[in-house]
Amino acid sequence: MQLLLTPSSSTVRRSLGALSCVASLLCAARAQAQVASLDLSSALFVEPSKHSGLTVVNPNATLAVSPSNWLTLQGNYEADIVSGASESLKGGRLSNVDIVTSATHFSDTRHALTGGFTITRAATHLRGSYTYGTEHDYRSNAFALSAGTDFLQKNTQIELAYGRGFDQVCTTAYRASDAPSSRLALDNSSGCFTSDKKRAARDISLNNFQVSWTQTWTPEFATQLVLSAALQNGFLGNPYRSVVIAPAGDQALENHPENRGRGALGLRGKYYVRSLQTAFSAGGRLYRDTWDILGQTYEVDAERYLLPWLRVLVRGRYYTQSQALFWSDDYTGGEPAAGPRGQYWSGDRELSPLSNFLVGGRLLATKEGRPDARVLGLFLSLSGSVGFDFLKTNLRDFTLGGRKPDDTVAMLGSLGFRGEF
Amino acid sequence: MTDQDSEFSLSFKVLAGAFGTVLLLASAGCATVRPEQRAILADPTMQFDAQSADQAALDHALDNREGSTGGGSVRGGGCGCN
Repeated sequence: MQLLLTPSSSTVRRSLGALSCVASLLCAARAQAQVASLDLSSALFVEPSKHSGLTVVNPNATLAVSPSNWLTLQGNYEADIVSGASESLKGGRLSNVDIVTSATHFSDTRHALTGGFTITRAATHLRGSYTYGTEHDYRSNAFALSAGTDFLQKNTQIELAYGRGFDQVCTTAYRASDAPSSRLALDNSSGCFTSDKKRAARDISLNNFQVSWTQTWTPEFATQLVLSAALQNGFLGNPYRSVVIAPAGDQALENHPENRGRGALGLRGKYYVRSLQTAFSAGGRLYRDTWDILGQTYEVDAERYLLPWLRVLVRGRYYTQSQALFWSDDYTGGEPAAGPRGQYWSGDRELSPLSNFLVGGRLLATKEGRPDARVLGLFLSLSGSVGFDFLKTNLRDFTLGGRKPDDTVAMLGSLGFRGEF
Repeated sequence: MTDQDSEFSLSFKVLAGAFGTVLLLASAGCATVRPEQRAILADPTMQFDAQSADQAALDHALDNREGSTGGGSVRGGGCGCN
């Protein structure tokens, strides 16, 4: 999401206040806690570009406390601090519009607070959580529930999960009866979620389903099968993005279908090679949705101990997808108005045909203590991790006024600490 | 049938074939891993864990850079020691 304002200090104060409340509640339970853990992490995503570019800082804090051996309470705070510049107008090879140099600067911060619980009884567990997320132009309320059990001597684990989201996105105040070609894009988030008559809040309804099956086959081999589905309904475009839809240069707010059904099937296997003292993992994922995108993911990784307290993971991943049915790099070429490219238009490059590859790795150090010999006098276990990933994207059809974007290389660094006490 | 349908069908068959092979091999051995054999499976390197900090950050970034989502790994693995 894009805006021209900086986050208000009151939002930050409210978020930190709420987190303090969660932490206080959890700390109150600490008196009887058998185990508590604190996870602190931060990630930095950088996508450099001559004209646009994107930087995202993603701090994250999770506190979990187990007041009894069957109950764990969790509280989490997460933020996305986004800054950069992006093209708010999309035209293709036929459009005679200077899009690249029209990139506008923006910054925004998303805050998300989560409270949750896990109940474990014998071989069965039940998890529930609620997350509230807010930014200047987007609000989300998400409930998640999952239940799982182990059986067949704990060689088999099945888990069912359901998530429900009630989101709202800010747009200009067009009426539903207005022709999509007459709708305007937002130029900033000023007035969003207020009584401003130039702004409107539009609902997005989300339903997520997932079933997973984890199976151990031998003392060195395990697999996991994950089937997930999602239903989305509402405003599914970018409220800031306009698309050139006529040879004369006419622009209109990006217009996506209001419904999307998504399904994915993933299979992974892990195998430990004793002679190499290394755990190898390989997996594939197939994805398809009602917008006609077909996605395929193939990934491998290997992880081993360099020292008893230090382990290293290296990974590689390849992804490819087809385009959405209504995707076109340029909508000014005379598509029939009744066809998918006449009825809908998009400037979203994630709906265009693309592929990418990723290589990366992680180092993780862990120091274990004992109740009578705690690490730093406090922790039963303390670990730190550092990760780096490199992502290169190949946009097969997407252009900005006929020019290939240069922001197709991204780097992700992460730093994490976890303490159990 | 479109090219996409054919591609999807082929990929699905490959994935289903791989999974079928796993099932067949495992069934042939009637594999049951006893608790005392779980030392390796219980190790963190053998966990399917989407909750690690770097993996969560990576999934978050990829979700925003690709048109697909879902089907990722979930917490779980070969421990079950307790």
